[in-house]
Amino acid sequence: MKKIKLYIGLIMIFLFTACEQVIELKLEEATPLVVIDGGISDQNEVQRIKISKTYSFTEPNKFNGASGAKVVLGIDGTGSIVFTEVSPGIYQSVKFRGKSGSKYDISVTLEGQTYKASSVMPVRVPMDSLTFKSYNLFGETKNYVAVNYRDPAGVANQYRYILRFKGVVEKDVVSEDRFDDGNKVTNVIFYELNDLIKGDSIQVEIQCIDRNVYRYFYSLGQNSGGGGPPVAPANPPSNFSNGALGVFSAYTSSIRTALIK
Amino acid sequence: MPNTIRLVLLLLLCIFFQYSSAQTKRTLSGNVTDAKTGETLIGASVRLTGGNTAASLTNAYGFYSLIISEGKYEVAVSFIGYKTTIKEVDISKDLRLNFALEEDNQLNEVVISATKKNENVSSPQMGLQKLSVREINDVPVLLGERDVLKTLQLLPGIKSAGEGNSGFYVRGGATDQNLILLDEAPVYNASHLLGFFSTFNSDAIKDVSVYKGGMPAQYGGRLASVLDIKMNDGNRKEFTAEGGIGLISSRLKVEGPIVKDKGSFMLSARRTYMDLFFKLSSDSSISNNTLFFYDLNAKANYQLDDKNTIYLSGYFGRDKLGIADAFGFNWGNATVTLRWNHLYSNKLFSNTSLIYSNYNYVIQNMMEDNNFKVNSSIKDFNLKQDFDYRLSNDHSLKFGLNVIHHTIAPGKLSADESSSVNPTTFENRKGLESAMYVSDEWAVNERFNLVYGFRLSSFSLLGPGNFKSYDADGNTISSKYYGSKAVVKSYFNLEPRLSASYQLNPSSAIKGAYTRNVQNIHLMSNSTSTSPTDLYIMNSNHVKPEIADQVATGFFKNFNDDKYEFSAEIYYKWMQNQIEYRSGTDLRGNGNVEADLLFGDGRAYGIELFLKKRFGRFNGWIGYTFSRTERQFDTLNEGKWFYAKQDRTHDISLVGIYKASPRWTFSSVFVYNTGNAVTYPSGKYEINGNTAFYYKEKNGYRTPAYHRLDVAATLEGKPGKKLQSSWSFGIYNVYNRQNAFSIDFKDNPDDPTRTEVVRTTLFGIIPSVTWNFKF
Repeated sequence: MKKIKLYIGLIMIFLFTACEQVIELKLEEATPLVVIDGGISDQNEVQRIKISKTYSFTEPNKFNGASGAKVVLGIDGTGSIVFTEVSPGIYQSVKFRGKSGSKYDISVTLEGQTYKASSVMPVRVPMDSLTFKSYNLFGETKNYVAVNYRDPAGVANQYRYILRFKGVVEKDVVSEDRFDDGNKVTNVIFYELNDLIKGDSIQVEIQCIDRNVYRYFYSLGQNSGGGGPPVAPANPPSNFSNGALGVFSAYTSSIRTALIK
Repeated sequence: MPNTIRLVLLLLLCIFFQYSSAQTKRTLSGNVTDAKTGETLIGASVRLTGGNTAASLTNAYGFYSLIISEGKYEVAVSFIGYKTTIKEVDISKDLRLNFALEEDNQLNEVVISATKKNENVSSPQMGLQKLSVREINDVPVLLGERDVLKTLQLLPGIKSAGEGNSGFYVRGGATDQNLILLDEAPVYNASHLLGFFSTFNSDAIKDVSVYKGGMPAQYGGRLASVLDIKMNDGNRKEFTAEGGIGLISSRLKVEGPIVKDKGSFMLSARRTYMDLFFKLSSDSSISNNTLFFYDLNAKANYQLDDKNTIYLSGYFGRDKLGIADAFGFNWGNATVTLRWNHLYSNKLFSNTSLIYSNYNYVIQNMMEDNNFKVNSSIKDFNLKQDFDYRLSNDHSLKFGLNVIHHTIAPGKLSADESSSVNPTTFENRKGLESAMYVSDEWAVNERFNLVYGFRLSSFSLLGPGNFKSYDADGNTISSKYYGSKAVVKSYFNLEPRLSASYQLNPSSAIKGAYTRNVQNIHLMSNSTSTSPTDLYIMNSNHVKPEIADQVATGFFKNFNDDKYEFSAEIYYKWMQNQIEYRSGTDLRGNGNVEADLLFGDGRAYGIELFLKKRFGRFNGWIGYTFSRTERQFDTLNEGKWFYAKQDRTHDISLVGIYKASPRWTFSSVFVYNTGNAVTYPSGKYEINGNTAFYYKEKNGYRTPAYHRLDVAATLEGKPGKKLQSSWSFGIYNVYNRQNAFSIDFKDNPDDPTRTEVVRTTLFGIIPSVTWNFKF
């Protein structure tokens, strides 16, 4: 069904000469809101929470970090880890490994307001391999990378795929096992590799995420027309209380690198 | 509400009683047809001349009935575009009298004083717009494809749902709130090729009426409008063929008598051939692709005797898309209508219809490791019984029954063993929609006309299947299995219908109407445009019937011997149980879709102005609409009222058709509308290194204003030849206005630190040419 967007595109190309143009549009400037983006992984590493504020549409893209927040993580209702700010808006823990099945509660206090979210780390599903896929459509061959893994049967799993090229996140998409529960899955990531040259490498991370986090990223993708016809945009459903934007995710991580030959 | 029923029944009883004793009157009845083709004429006016007020309009089957005292009269029959026919009759007993009208090809309408051309003023019906097939054929359109739905959008109160889109909004209603009927059969998806063309091939169409309000009681099931399209019956006199070759499609229609003057048939087909160009390519990755749609309309009728006529009509249309050996997608409607017209007496006309309607789509992914096939459909069996009863000159009664059995197959997913996709079947849903109605058109006195009645509708959701109920947050509370034919949930609604007109003078009237409409099936669509895969759901434990109450009032005036028609209508509408979606709702293959729905209220109001020049070498119209459509949902937009996506403040359309000579016709359309309500960002932020947007208010922004000018010219071939041909030339968007099809916000590909606003324009200036023929 991911192809729907593709065929809409094809029809437009063949029937009409759709024309794109950059225009000026006056957009309102909303009062800055708190954005919290972070997670706990199952890797033994420094865990990171990023806190920022929304800013004007016309400004250059940036991480608009918010300093001075108090960030506390609770694990299964016991013990707590306090995060420290290492640069404006970036808060880090000591090295530790998250555990599947554990419930993580994050509490962020900034400028007198407290925002809370929790996430349960799902069971880990490892990535088996990355493979290359090419499609020949309308005389043009397009190359993509695909993630291979075996989905565990009988449980609902949600996955997030992050494709990085030269350290930059190029694709961040999610999927679920509604239609392929328990199967060997090959999921193509629709990031075109045609412009890459021999010797380039891409890094793909597969995360297992909880239902709310899946819904957040699915909604975020819908806003930009990812995975189907574009929907009327809306703020994705955050798992934070008190009106903060963003999401807190406890996830398992499995990373592989593919070399373009 | 039961009081309302009692009151209406009481009124009806009084009328029966009063007129059952009036025995000295006689009935004059019959059919009105086109003299050349034998096609029945719908809405032709039959009236007595002189001081007599007796008048009737032919019904959907061309039948009329008048009740008059014995004596000598002159009967005048008229219909726009035809010469008025006058016959003398001597009424001493009940009389059957048929009229055959000659088409009027003269450029200037000959004004005959007996002609009644002010039906729009004198009828109590309001909120009704009619289009003639001539108008549809003369108005310029995209790529020269004559299109009923797009021409309709040029009328006030009927708005386009987007550039080149055959979807439309009526008085604040959503696209699924229009009841679209083709020979009485509901058409669930009236568009081809993602909405750019409608499924109605104008060759096959005889009559188009849209009710924006004041819907007569025989119609029900949707909130916003009724679009009633009737197919041609076919020529009863001789065999003819006509067709056309256009840029994207070709059409052919053949029609003729089965038995002369007794029965006829009509067959009309259209197919696009975009994909035939693919075949020219030597590259198999291009030539193996498919992209086309077709429509097939067929109808036959046979008059058994002067009391019985049967009609069989069908429509079959399909879109097919295929990308080499990788992907296939097709969708389409099929409708079949079998009708039996029977005259119980000269006063009582009956029509019984058996209707089948089916919409389905199939998606096929043929990629080896995740191949799958999705089937989904909505299928109706529909029985309608309608009676027209001419009680007296002052009362004309309509009553009837309607039962529809719906089966919705939300989706069946099948896949090979080798596929990573698991075969899944979602439970079918069945429902029974029934209604009974009565309405009386009452000429209270010479000035005051009234149509009043009601429709009693019910809906039952039927088993078998597992049915859930949900709390306000969408969590499942309970799930219960119901056996086959078990009633899961029923809803009953009384829909009062009332319209009245008061004639100020022979050429002007004021009218008012109150209508309640109920909708029991709902289209799930959270995308910015409709998609062939959008799914219908029915009322359930969780989903309640949508209800709309509309009041409207208007002023209607004709001037210059009915050459010009003017109307101004104001409406206000309250809507209950409207549907929106939680953010992040995935409608595809979602067996639990109800959990993601939100319910709220709506309100819409507006004013519609319409000025039309109806006859003459130059004719056309100006339409203006001011309107507002708002919604209120507790969990959206902080519970505050917000503009619905169909909200648009100003709409203007100008249509001009000029018959320059017997051979040349020129036409032009100009449309202007202010932007639709839309959600745009009011800030941005970063999530995992990507830019995300912050939306402050739902639909708080406006899309840029839209305007466009189209022109067309038609050159008719030299008259008198056996093969008549014509050329149509058109230019869509003459001044190449870059209208926004969509506005996207994204990072600049060359400078990822900047975000920019990108406008996509679908149709710039597009010329077209079509060759039409007839023999």
